[in-house]
Amino acid sequence: MTVSTADEGTRSSGGRLLITLLLPIVLLNVIAFIAPVANLVAMSFREATATGSMKEGVDLATWSSLVADTYYWSMLWRTVWIGALITLITLVLSYPLALFVSRAERAKALLIVLCISPLLISAVVRTYGWMVILGDQGFLQALLRSFNVTPPRLINSQLGVVIGMTEILMPYMILSLLSGFGKLDTTLEQAAETLGAGPLTVFRRIVLPLSMPGVLLGCLLCFVLAVSSFITPKMLGGGRVALLATEIYDQAIVTLNWPVAACLSVLILVVFGTALLFYGQLSKIVE
Amino acid sequence: MQNFTRRKVLALGAVGVAMPWVTRASAQERKITVAAYSDIFEDIYKRTVIEPFMKANPGIRVDYMGMPTSAQNLGMLRAQKAAPQIDVCIMDVVVAKAGGDEGIYKPVTAEQLPVMKQLVPAALIEGVPGPAVTFDTIVMMYALSKFPTPPTSWKELWNKQHAGRIAIDAPPNLLGVGLTLIANKLAGGGDYRQSIDKGIQLLGEMAPLVQTWDPKPNPYAAVANGVVDLGIGYNARAQTISKQNADRMAVAMPEEGSIAQINTINLVNGSKQPEAALQFMSYALSAEAQATFTEALYYVPTNKGAAISEEARKKTAATPERMARMIDVDWIEVAKFRDKITEQWRRNVISRS
Repeated sequence: MTVSTADEGTRSSGGRLLITLLLPIVLLNVIAFIAPVANLVAMSFREATATGSMKEGVDLATWSSLVADTYYWSMLWRTVWIGALITLITLVLSYPLALFVSRAERAKALLIVLCISPLLISAVVRTYGWMVILGDQGFLQALLRSFNVTPPRLINSQLGVVIGMTEILMPYMILSLLSGFGKLDTTLEQAAETLGAGPLTVFRRIVLPLSMPGVLLGCLLCFVLAVSSFITPKMLGGGRVALLATEIYDQAIVTLNWPVAACLSVLILVVFGTALLFYGQLSKIVE
Repeated sequence: MQNFTRRKVLALGAVGVAMPWVTRASAQERKITVAAYSDIFEDIYKRTVIEPFMKANPGIRVDYMGMPTSAQNLGMLRAQKAAPQIDVCIMDVVVAKAGGDEGIYKPVTAEQLPVMKQLVPAALIEGVPGPAVTFDTIVMMYALSKFPTPPTSWKELWNKQHAGRIAIDAPPNLLGVGLTLIANKLAGGGDYRQSIDKGIQLLGEMAPLVQTWDPKPNPYAAVANGVVDLGIGYNARAQTISKQNADRMAVAMPEEGSIAQINTINLVNGSKQPEAALQFMSYALSAEAQATFTEALYYVPTNKGAAISEEARKKTAATPERMARMIDVDWIEVAKFRDKITEQWRRNVISRS
């Protein structure tokens, strides 16, 4: 009886300790994440008047007008496919680089720092850099003209957004891939080689499958960042590339239609949720 | 402990005794916050209006909060609705109307603000909580190196020589909305309240020539830096930036006329210092402050008595011939179909570029 009471006491003090330890992070999440998201959802059920002022009360009008407008559906589709395209190009460009860095025997730390050093500079500054490089009077246009090639529109276009976003997201992809490569056991590759597998087969059958967790993590991270990115599409899109994030800015900051901005923000959350589901399913398959 | 000499203890005691008087003195100073545009507007408004006001009213301290756009200004006050930290807002008439409808701004009357009797009739807009404090116009900015003679018509925007060298801020930006109304007039579209189809069609023909529909950081810099040959912007800023870049950029006020942009001054509902705020508003609308501000930034004053020099007048739309050519626009009415204009631009203008 005494032992049981002591056990209960230990259990209850353990429970109290657990609650005490969890409380700060739970509170922080409620204040900094759950409450703003709830506010966002509530805002999406309000309606703005033609002049921009918000009506009182709950209303489905904003959602129904949004759902009925094909323009927003095409924008959602454009956001998803541009995000996916940027993620794919980022992966293709980052994979060999990350593999090289992870296998480097000398100055590995320096190479890692070089790969992630762009993160030390603001995305705004880097995007301005791309505006200078890709602009009409920029280096790349001049180079193409010197080869008698009529350059395509490199900024103020979808192409400009894809180029800028790819460069901006590469450090995130490289970091994710490096974490994946860290778990790669090189003796497996040596074993495959001794069994007669060529370099391509080793890559296809050993390296790629084992690095998939890093690949999936990098893809999820880059896709989410590409879909939510606003600065680079705004600066390099020239008003021609309407994405969900840029539309949210216009609705919230320019036309003051906060309910529409809130609806679109909820849509972005749904896109993120779907991406997370995909990630979860694919991770299970890979494992 | 040995550091606490008798002198230090006495000094600390004296500070303690004097504290209530110090507190009372600072309590007598009233503090208000004015939120208006950032950048050039902020620099010049502080120098020409706020500092002279504080000099004339030593008991009132005015803090300036620079906001990039009027909508951001209202957005901040929406977030502070229960306990506003701002007392006076200077913002575009369309946004002021939205804020007034939400009860964020308090309507002011001529009884509260007698200076309103000195304003031009166009400064008192029905349904808008505060009176107009400045008028501005939409103009064309051009690169001097590309124009041996200054352009005189809006039709220059349709000149194929400038293909890929034009910067336009598309709707929902009000510059793009304004250009739609101008294009509608150029195309003979009649009353914009009825239809803007002809204007949209004409703008669609211009679209392939446009380099950007969202010039960064702004259309003024794009022209001044030689990124484009032509752009549209607001006269006051364009004149000031062209003055700073006199060898590169100039401003044209086309012969077909232009449309006015109106900034109003509004009292925030729930201001903790409404009397001081009204006192500031009264000064901001006075002939003296309006004239000084116009001399520095070329906005058209709203006070009939503002005496401005001929040089400054030439750089504003306030000359009789320019005023006669102004296109009459009711911005509150336009705001009601701004979404429709934006949609038309997306489907029929930007898509063609």
